[in-house]
Amino acid sequence: MYSCIILEKGPVVKMRYKKRTDFGDGMRQVYFEIKKVFGGTRSRMALLLLMLLMGVTFYFAMSVEYVNEEGETEAGFGAVQKLRAAQKEWSGDLDVEKIGQVIAENRRINETPEGRSEQLKESNIAYGWKQGIAEIRNLLNCSYAEGFREYDYYRADSLSEAEAGSFYHNRIRLLEEWLAGEARDQYSGAEKAYLTGQYESLETPFYYDYRKGWTQLFEYAPTVVMITMLFLGYLVAGIFSNEFAWRADAVFFASCHGRDRAVSAKVWAGVGIVTGIYWIVMLFYSTVVLGYLGADGWNCPVQTEFGDWKCFYHLTVWQKYLLIVIGGYIGCLFMAGLCMLVSARTKSAVLAVMVPFVLIFLPSFLGNLESAAVNKILGLLPDRLLQVGAALGYFDLYTVGGRVIGAVPILLVVYGILAVAVLPVVYRCYVRS
Amino acid sequence: MIHVLFAPPMAAWRARLKMRSHFHYVLCLSEAKGMDISMKLEIEDLTKQFQDVTAVDGVSCTLTTGVYGLLGVNGAGKTTLMRMLCTLLRPTAGRILWDGQDIFALDGAYRRILGYLPQDFGFYPDFTVRDYLHYIASIKGLRPAAARKRTAVLLQQVGLAKVENRKMKKLSGGMKRRVGIAQAMLNDPQILILDEPTAGLDPNERIRFRNLISELAQDRLVLLSTHIVSDIEYIANEILLMKDGRICISGTTEDLTAGMPEQVWLVSVPRSEVVSYTKRYKVSNIKTLHGEARLRILSAEKPAENAVLEEAMLEDVFLHYFGERAGGENAV
Repeated sequence: MYSCIILEKGPVVKMRYKKRTDFGDGMRQVYFEIKKVFGGTRSRMALLLLMLLMGVTFYFAMSVEYVNEEGETEAGFGAVQKLRAAQKEWSGDLDVEKIGQVIAENRRINETPEGRSEQLKESNIAYGWKQGIAEIRNLLNCSYAEGFREYDYYRADSLSEAEAGSFYHNRIRLLEEWLAGEARDQYSGAEKAYLTGQYESLETPFYYDYRKGWTQLFEYAPTVVMITMLFLGYLVAGIFSNEFAWRADAVFFASCHGRDRAVSAKVWAGVGIVTGIYWIVMLFYSTVVLGYLGADGWNCPVQTEFGDWKCFYHLTVWQKYLLIVIGGYIGCLFMAGLCMLVSARTKSAVLAVMVPFVLIFLPSFLGNLESAAVNKILGLLPDRLLQVGAALGYFDLYTVGGRVIGAVPILLVVYGILAVAVLPVVYRCYVRS
Repeated sequence: MIHVLFAPPMAAWRARLKMRSHFHYVLCLSEAKGMDISMKLEIEDLTKQFQDVTAVDGVSCTLTTGVYGLLGVNGAGKTTLMRMLCTLLRPTAGRILWDGQDIFALDGAYRRILGYLPQDFGFYPDFTVRDYLHYIASIKGLRPAAARKRTAVLLQQVGLAKVENRKMKKLSGGMKRRVGIAQAMLNDPQILILDEPTAGLDPNERIRFRNLISELAQDRLVLLSTHIVSDIEYIANEILLMKDGRICISGTTEDLTAGMPEQVWLVSVPRSEVVSYTKRYKVSNIKTLHGEARLRILSAEKPAENAVLEEAMLEDVFLHYFGERAGGENAV
């Protein structure tokens, strides 16, 4: 008979003592909830599979090649070191002088017998000499392209040093031409002005450095985040519904804390699993890739990567990384929250586990509709959070309170709020089961 | 500041006050044997409807300390009634009061004194027995140290101390049921509700389980539902017969047998006449002996010249009220 009388010296003391013990009990229940999730063979197998897939992704992310003086391809850490050394020689501000030097160096290599040769081996040797300027050369191809959406790999080969001065101006000019032509009807006047303003206000010259580590990290980040999310969905899908599947719900709800603290523990366990696994995976991924390929170039503007040349956000590489990992976390938390909500509402883990699949893959099908209105909606769907790196490159603009704003800040704020807001809904839904 | 959940007389609890920490004093009433604590669970005109089906239909009764046996055929409404008593289902009409307060308003405070073993006892398959009990203890509001002590005591009591590290999914049916009763007892409940606790157990396990329940039933309100008459007969002080969602009759075994309008007769007949008797009378037992059959018949009148009057048992009462449906699955 557990009814008890508790005497306390005063209200302040009671509150402090109770908070401490309640917190301890709550943590213990969270521990047991997590144990329920990972106690099963299936969950452990899922984790093993996640590790395996991560291993494969890590392998591809760390695969870097270097072409040596003999035109042979090298791989491994030695290749990374050589590529790094070659590109480091060109680090610094990409001013007119540096651009001119790159154009001259590119032409010099092209004019060598190896550069002119059509023999594979000799071409490879010439390519090997260009590896130090390869990234800047790509930027030249973007800047001096025929149109905003054009890319000509050989454009840099036809440039002269005299054209170096228009390197940054071209970026703005091509945008303006595109907005006045092809994209005339896609954006409002305010949005066009916003884009042009963003381009014009970007600080130049860009600081350039070897940044292969970040490039590779960003390239495979969406894969890592999506795989992690799918596994997280699988893990949290059963937190609520399994009580019913195991027919343990009667004892659970008939217990003293079965309709309050024990349900909170389930919610916190879900948040804990998402937080723990996501950050372990992402930090491990970042550490391994950057540790292997180097974290140089963290302070370069994202536009120094040819894939982000057109990006209108003013960000450094390090800031882009933060947005990717934070966005991924918010996305995972939101999707896992929805997953738990479906689990609590329908009492079905099968339906719950489908939530992340639908949220991730449905936008891919809708994207084929090619409608401006649909694209506006797609730009704000939560799958974008799992691929913030790519979302930074999209020209998704929205007008909020008379201010034009890109999709990424909206995604982070809106889904950040929703990810937190969904948790009490899950709690209430399950308490009323 | 004093927080009183269920206040006993001042003098009694003061004598048993224990200091738990510098600022925290706890009195466990379970240790206060012999204390006059009035426990009363009042069920007032309780009804539960599921769409067109009325599972519980205007049940009213008052339960105090003791073992109550809720007897009825499958579908009589026993489980629905028990689930309402455990706050798992909200009644369509009526109230359940614990010491005058609505149990749904009491919420966690009521569940704190409740122990429940559901008919379909589920568990976490990958938890060990000890982990399972520690977890249930935590959601029942027991502190870790108390949970560890209580778990050890109960594992001894239910005879599972040796398998405390075994995973739940690897236990036999009887062992699982014993874990079930242990979890129900973790918080030393004042109200213990056991829904078909012996269903599916072999005879040895059933006897063992019955004894265990009797042992645990002291000083608390135990409501035990079953359609197995012998279980109730052995351990219940008072029996509630439930039929079509209603308590049709209640009382001790003696009350029920004495109040039965029919008498019990023992008749020896040729085997060829057995069918004829079963058609005309309620036959609670047929025993074949050397070419003839000995029938146990319920009848207001003497069914045959050679019929001998027998003392009625609870099984006969069950047959009287439930008729042919009493012979349903698993009934003994």
